[in-house]
Amino acid sequence: MHEMALMGEIVHLIEQDARSKEMKQVKKVELLVGTLSNVLPDALQFAFDVYKVQADNCLTSDAELIIHTERARAICAICGKEYEPATKITQCPTCLLPSGNIVAGETFRILVYEGSLTT
Amino acid sequence: MRITLEVDVLTNNNRAAAFNRQLFEETNTLVINIMSSPGAGKTTILEKTIEALADEFRIGVIEGDLATEKDAERIRALGAQAVQINTHGGCHLDARMVAAVLPQFNFEHLDILFIENVGNLVCPSGYDLGQQHKVAVLSIPEGNDKIPKYPTMFMRTELVLLNKIDLLPYLDFNIEQAKEDLSCINPQSRLLTVSAKTGEGMDEWLHWIREGVARCKKQ
Repeated sequence: MHEMALMGEIVHLIEQDARSKEMKQVKKVELLVGTLSNVLPDALQFAFDVYKVQADNCLTSDAELIIHTERARAICAICGKEYEPATKITQCPTCLLPSGNIVAGETFRILVYEGSLTT
Repeated sequence: MRITLEVDVLTNNNRAAAFNRQLFEETNTLVINIMSSPGAGKTTILEKTIEALADEFRIGVIEGDLATEKDAERIRALGAQAVQINTHGGCHLDARMVAAVLPQFNFEHLDILFIENVGNLVCPSGYDLGQQHKVAVLSIPEGNDKIPKYPTMFMRTELVLLNKIDLLPYLDFNIEQAKEDLSCINPQSRLLTVSAKTGEGMDEWLHWIREGVARCKKQ
């Protein structure tokens, strides 16, 4: 969708936190990305690779990005069946109605980062 | 050192959106975020809307574009206050950009604020600006397949203005199919057929705005 701008947010949020802890470098970032979050993991990795070679942020040039995937889950409002919708336009496999409430798969969070106090 | 951050990537945007929303609510201002592809007619709809409602309401507009003041100039020509945001390549407005220009408006003297987003059917749908209403504009030349092809836009808007219906005789746009697709993706959404150019259907849109202002004033 706009992974370069989103990675800018991620780097900014991590940098803010790392500075508050007087860390000099960040070597690893772990994200949780839902399959329905409109974010492409490949494009995120590309954006991360662009950021980490730039000198104006705390990422080391060999920093690692780990993307954990959150699978989509929806619950049918009619029959109550829980299923994995392929898209945001849900369709219950049992009653075939587009009535699923999405309960997972839209997450886009920073989970963890690893940094060091020395360069 | 391993740090557990557990924070939503859009947390800063969402915080700014909450700030905007609180300001809009405290000042009883109706705020509508209008989104569409480039060229669907957002600015023309706004021009006609301002002309029609100028005697009833005090209207302000935030214009989002990559470059130029062209849209803001069109709005100012009608006597309404318009502030242009240039995103310099950015494909959408975010809540912080909106928050940054809000001090330029006097909300004690404003009934309606329209936010015309950057022309794009994808990215603007992902950013909450603090508005009460999201409206999408789709136009006849774009084709009726755009609703299922860009679901993230249409599943989050409560009103779709189908613009340029004066071109219907010349193009193959299936309105019934568009309505059916919209009801599948977003059963709560309404679709109004309008032509900003001829004025056809605009009364219903103006009525929807009047109802929105009345709801804001009551709170």
